Amino acid sequence: MIKTARVRALITIFLACVLSGCTSIPKQSLYEEIGGHKTLNTIYGVAITRIYTDPVIGHYFKGVPKKHLRDQLVLQTCELIGGPCEYDGKTMLESHTGLNIKEREFYILVEYVQGAMRDVGLTYQQENRILKKLAPIKYQTVNL
Amino acid sequence: MIKVLLLSSLLISFTAFADSGSRLVASGGVTGFEGAAGGGITPWAFIGGYTSKEEVSYSANIQYLSLNDYRLTTAGAGFSLFDRVEVSLQRQRLDISSGLTSNVFALLTEGAISNANSATVEQDIVGAKVKVFGDGVFAQDSWLPQIAIGAQYKKNRDFDSSLSLPDGSVPLPETGVPLLLGAKDDSGTDVYLSATKLWLGTPSGYNLLTNLTARYTKANVFGLLGFGAEGDDSAKLEWEGSLALLISPTTAIGTEFRTQTNRLGGLAEEDTVVDAFIAYFPNKSLSITAAYVDLGNLPLQESSSGFYLTVNGHF
Repeated sequence: MIKTARVRALITIFLACVLSGCTSIPKQSLYEEIGGHKTLNTIYGVAITRIYTDPVIGHYFKGVPKKHLRDQLVLQTCELIGGPCEYDGKTMLESHTGLNIKEREFYILVEYVQGAMRDVGLTYQQENRILKKLAPIKYQTVNL
Repeated sequence: MIKVLLLSSLLISFTAFADSGSRLVASGGVTGFEGAAGGGITPWAFIGGYTSKEEVSYSANIQYLSLNDYRLTTAGAGFSLFDRVEVSLQRQRLDISSGLTSNVFALLTEGAISNANSATVEQDIVGAKVKVFGDGVFAQDSWLPQIAIGAQYKKNRDFDSSLSLPDGSVPLPETGVPLLLGAKDDSGTDVYLSATKLWLGTPSGYNLLTNLTARYTKANVFGLLGFGAEGDDSAKLEWEGSLALLISPTTAIGTEFRTQTNRLGGLAEEDTVVDAFIAYFPNKSLSITAAYVDLGNLPLQESSSGFYLTVNGHF
């Protein structure tokens, strides 16, 4: 009787492990893994400096305070990658409607963010996992 | 071979100044041996090069596959429009060693003729691909793949180019290799549908590309051995697939397969083609791909596998 219960418990643990992807139990979020707010803040600091001086997309940010944009992007990304943040600013859709941003311009921005992640020292894997979360933003920004 | 090297170095030097589009590096795949962008042996739903909706780009490629007594050299050019349409033109040349052609004659004449010249089979392919829907790269919140449909018009240029003997004589007039092996037509059109999806950050942070292509075709060995057969002239559905893992921002490794229907039978029995490749994308203008390709049986060469090298330029 005791034996059956033990086997059952083992099976349950095994199934739980398989279903949860067998990761260690207190799972660190991607946000914590990359170094939290400090890292995100550096990434967007680097990216924004480059974006503001880009000949193709720089003009979109005329009159937008760097600090404001940086805080908004950090907050939004934090929320997307499992950090303890709640973005409460304007939605991407709201802030980009009417700008008629081209796909090409969005891709240029993506490459700046990608480049900043690399320069700040994120691994290729961390970069891809963040990119996966950011990618759908394309549909809240382009051609609106 | 020297020609190949010269062309490749030309491509490399051109592409150093190129502006090939704004999409993410490697997201255009490579140009396959039939001219369509994707893997080496199968098209993907992605449009070649790196064009966005607002851009146009051009491409050129040169490719070499060595299979013992067969060698396939192909080269071509194409253009991509607005991340929607891809058009390509490819010339393929299959060189068949004199050892093989001699064996063909020895078989046909029961040994009376045992020495023949080497032969060449050339084919032209005009291809077009249209993205139908989906975004295989950026729609990461959905499992839906990007879908494209395409067509490849193929014209075998040596369907009835006779094989010759060393003394210049032509024992079988107006009979090229495809005709000799029982093919019915010198041209045909493949139509295909590809579903492709890039999984960012999967598995464990790397990016995985999955592709499945269904092709409706009458081609024998891609059309190099003609189209249809006397006994079986129907088009069949073939399946092709690619798995590619981006192990770094500039390097992908992967494997592919492609089924073929065995129409001609006999000497020209066809097997499923498989390959394993490594592709290097130093920048958006250039890619270099090396692969090991196994075609299985080719006429008089039961095990045909060898090394494949391709250089692509985008500008």
